[in-house]
Amino acid sequence: MIALSVVFLAPLVVMVLGSLQRPLQPPPNGLDLWPDPAEWSNYSTVALFMPLARLLLNSLLLVVVAVPVTVVVTSMAGLAIVTARGRLRRWLIGISVLMLLVPTAALWVPRVVLLRGVGLADTPLTVALLALAGTTPFYVLLFALAYSRIPTSLLEAATLEGLSPYAVWRRVALPLARPAAVAVAALSGLYYWSTFMDPLTLVSSPSNWPVALGLRGLSEMEAALYPIYLAAAVLVTAPALLAFGIAQRSFFSSVERS
Amino acid sequence: MRSAVLAISVLLTLTACADEPDSDSSGSATAPITVQIRAEPEEAAVYRSLVTAYEEAGGGEVELVTVGREDHLTRLSTAFASGDAPDVFGINYREYAPFVQRGAVHPIGPLLAQEGLDTADYYEEPLRAFTYDDALQCMPQNISSLVVYWNRGLFEQAGVPAPKAGWTWDDFVATATALTTGGVKGVGIDSSITRMAPFVWSSGGTIVDSDEAPTRTTLHEPGARAALEAVVDLIGTGATPSKEQLAAQGLPEQFMTGKLAMFLSSRVEVPALREQRGLDFDVAALPVMGKPASVLHSDAYCVASSSENRAAAAKFVAYAVGQQGQTVTALGGRTVPSLRSVATSPAFLTPARAPASSQVFLDAIPYLRHTPVTPSWPEVEDVIGTQLQRAFEDGVPLDEVLAEIQKQADPLLQRQ
Repeated sequence: MIALSVVFLAPLVVMVLGSLQRPLQPPPNGLDLWPDPAEWSNYSTVALFMPLARLLLNSLLLVVVAVPVTVVVTSMAGLAIVTARGRLRRWLIGISVLMLLVPTAALWVPRVVLLRGVGLADTPLTVALLALAGTTPFYVLLFALAYSRIPTSLLEAATLEGLSPYAVWRRVALPLARPAAVAVAALSGLYYWSTFMDPLTLVSSPSNWPVALGLRGLSEMEAALYPIYLAAAVLVTAPALLAFGIAQRSFFSSVERS
Repeated sequence: MRSAVLAISVLLTLTACADEPDSDSSGSATAPITVQIRAEPEEAAVYRSLVTAYEEAGGGEVELVTVGREDHLTRLSTAFASGDAPDVFGINYREYAPFVQRGAVHPIGPLLAQEGLDTADYYEEPLRAFTYDDALQCMPQNISSLVVYWNRGLFEQAGVPAPKAGWTWDDFVATATALTTGGVKGVGIDSSITRMAPFVWSSGGTIVDSDEAPTRTTLHEPGARAALEAVVDLIGTGATPSKEQLAAQGLPEQFMTGKLAMFLSSRVEVPALREQRGLDFDVAALPVMGKPASVLHSDAYCVASSSENRAAAAKFVAYAVGQQGQTVTALGGRTVPSLRSVATSPAFLTPARAPASSQVFLDAIPYLRHTPVTPSWPEVEDVIGTQLQRAFEDGVPLDEVLAEIQKQADPLLQRQ
């Protein structure tokens, strides 16, 4: 377990140490890891290359809006699949899998055309609109799988008791699929925090870009300025790590309880 | 890389339905416009000062979008396919033909004439490279060429004389071998066709059968083959970095750290090399195999045919390639100005800053040629680069890769 942690922590450690190296030095011969002295000013220099506060705020807004919407939409869609009968159910699963097979590049143009048509192509929340479509059919299938372990009789009994489909979802199905909800929230949170291809094609103004796209731009810096790029990478990774640290307790408890 | 090129051609195929505003609506000259430029983070700062200077000089509002190397074409193709294109965009001459073919570019010649710009003030070769369908499509902003970067310190250490203009390929090989000692390699060779083209031309060969309407590659024919054979022989002497060394560090980084005494590149390396304290470098003309030759590197500003603010777009381009605009970009150090008066001014030649011999870039201009301008060129370039790399790094016999290039690239050229 410890050995495994070392393997996964190593890139983070290299990133943090690299961010403290002095910029404008010749590239090192081999692995020259330990910064001496630590160059904390790299962190303030990042702001010269991208409007960091603005982009971080855009990303935060994106995650806060897109993740709950994704969970609600995909959990409802998953329930619809599970409660459908016979052929319809097979069809819905088939369509979801088929949609998973569509390459992302094929969606770039239709998405831009669609969002431009309704005048929503250039806001910090444009990318969050993907959440209305569930972000990816994979999450829908994940929920369908989780619900399929609930006895059908239970859902039928709830309907016979006079519960509306909404109440069945809210009061019976969703509480029983809590681990799936937590998993989808974690995966989609990570997706919206790190996506750069969607905003690159969907969002016109750089001031509406999320921070991942800003970071992507910095990745082409000259080698001599890499410490600044790594400092930016630390600043972008930190909030995601922090969120994981806070959420991990509820994540593991929900997974263990199931 | 290959998949990106394919994705872009697929996207461009979808552009056919791009809406075309009627030609009278060219808008107000100070209407707000969007400009998308390919630039690395440091370079982006140069374009920001250009835009600030333009706005202060009475131009309209400009929204500048700078995008990194690989994302620029993706974003541009998507934007065109969906009708959301920027008013002005920057592009390399090797990549603009597909955009013209799909009707995405508004020919810039007449627009700039209205702004009072005289193309006679500019170097001809880039203007030729950006002329397609007998019309000047985009306005070139720079005219760089391939040169040899050399490390003065390593030359002195090895007791090798500095490269002279007109040096031959044999001098070049002898210099590279003499410089190869201990941890230092003589010269770094890159397998892309833009690096190999000048040698192919210099030894009397060609890359394709016709520059205007290419239908097949000709790298296997005697002139071109001899040049490539000479490069393979140079690699065989051990004066170039090994495959492992190339995988560990790029050529410019090896040059910065004194592991490499020479490498070939365009003007673009200068700002990064200037930042290396203690690195004493200069540039020299390419060695000559038969007759002198070099290859053009040039980017231009294009006006999108979908732009509703063409007057404002043209005004911005005229400023950017004009005296003030080109001085701003020349001071950035990365470009060789396409405007003659700025190229010969201290803003570019800056004798106080390395490289001392910036004149080398201007001396190469009479011998500049450009690679063919044809819609499938980005894919052809990709095939040639991949195949030559096999010959240069993996020791695959040259004739085998040349046959493979014919097999893969010729159908691409005949496709249109």
